[in-house]
Amino acid sequence: MTGRDILKITVTLVVFYVIGGFILAFVYAKASPMIYRNNEEAEKRALKGLMPQAEDISKLGDWSIHDKHAKYFIAKKGGETVGYIIQSFGKGYSSYINTFIAVDKDFKVQKINILSHGETPGLGDEIEADSFRNQFRDKDLEHLKVLKTETKEYIQAISGATISSRAVTEDAVKNGVAFLIKTVKEGGGGDVKHEHN
Amino acid sequence: MSNTSTTSLKELFLNGIIKENTIFKLALSLCPSIAVTNNLKNGVFMGLAVLFVQFMVNITISLIRKVIHPKVRLPIFMLVISGWVTVTSMVMAAFVPDVYAKVGLYIQLIVAFASILARAEMFASKSSVLPSMADGLGMGVGFLFALTVISFFRELVGKGSLWGMQIVDTKPLLIMILPAGGFFAVGILMAAFNWIDSRYRKGAASSR
Repeated sequence: MTGRDILKITVTLVVFYVIGGFILAFVYAKASPMIYRNNEEAEKRALKGLMPQAEDISKLGDWSIHDKHAKYFIAKKGGETVGYIIQSFGKGYSSYINTFIAVDKDFKVQKINILSHGETPGLGDEIEADSFRNQFRDKDLEHLKVLKTETKEYIQAISGATISSRAVTEDAVKNGVAFLIKTVKEGGGGDVKHEHN
Repeated sequence: MSNTSTTSLKELFLNGIIKENTIFKLALSLCPSIAVTNNLKNGVFMGLAVLFVQFMVNITISLIRKVIHPKVRLPIFMLVISGWVTVTSMVMAAFVPDVYAKVGLYIQLIVAFASILARAEMFASKSSVLPSMADGLGMGVGFLFALTVISFFRELVGKGSLWGMQIVDTKPLLIMILPAGGFFAVGILMAAFNWIDSRYRKGAASSR
């Protein structure tokens, strides 16, 4: 290989990668504001879907779990507090599971929603299924526990995805509800930094 | 390797589906295929995503094949592949967020597909645009076909459902949707595919 060859190769590579970089930058510049808006709208829709009876859902504060930033909200109807919604993360099999949990004013779970995750397609992603999520209705803190056997009182694990089921139930939801009880009920609301072990 | 000047576009297209089927004949890209084929919906979406990326990558490589220095062709192929994957996923996230929410996971997996790199290296970098299009389309459709068959089989046998709808009320063989079962399923179907193919060929040869 001569010096000319090396120069030629370098120039080809540089030219191609610069062009590629420009194309990507251009597409990103066009797409990212739209993606941001889409995500915002999806969040608004998700909040509304979690608590359809609420008239006004507003942000109450921030907290963090697994070093991830999360938000919590208060839901009101006619000036009365009807419940809370909290975002939480669970450490799953192959990802952090981004979860929204709606609780009523007695801190019983009303509904949960999985916003995003990277669990195994076909196994772990069944945490999104209604049959799994509907189990959470009216569960309080003590009953957020995963069992591998058939159960109505606790949460039944998805077969083949016990780790993902646990991550949602005993990590994301349980910690989220516990945090809400600690800050809203006992601390009277406000920005208390949550210490997660 | 197929010679572009003598084989017609139709033959090139069929080549990717039967003679050089990515999964059943070449046994490429098995790892991501096994990971996603445990239900029909995932299999079909993954197949469609691969079909699109394979088609676009083949066209691009074929267009720029004369200016690529042979010593650095692999980094450039990778750039083209990951570029197309990234552009596709960003455009989809911006314009069709509902679809993207379902298939976004798979699109990003495509970067690691050996089959796409293999076609760029073996075919598109040596052929003009039209044959490359036919080859990309054939390979993509062949891949889609293989994933559909495998995921159909695995979801039906493993979960007793199809496209998420319950067909029978039990889970006949749960192992089929687990990774180990994926190898069984691919092996069984690969054998079946080759058996049918060889019988068909024997029949065609003896009737001549």
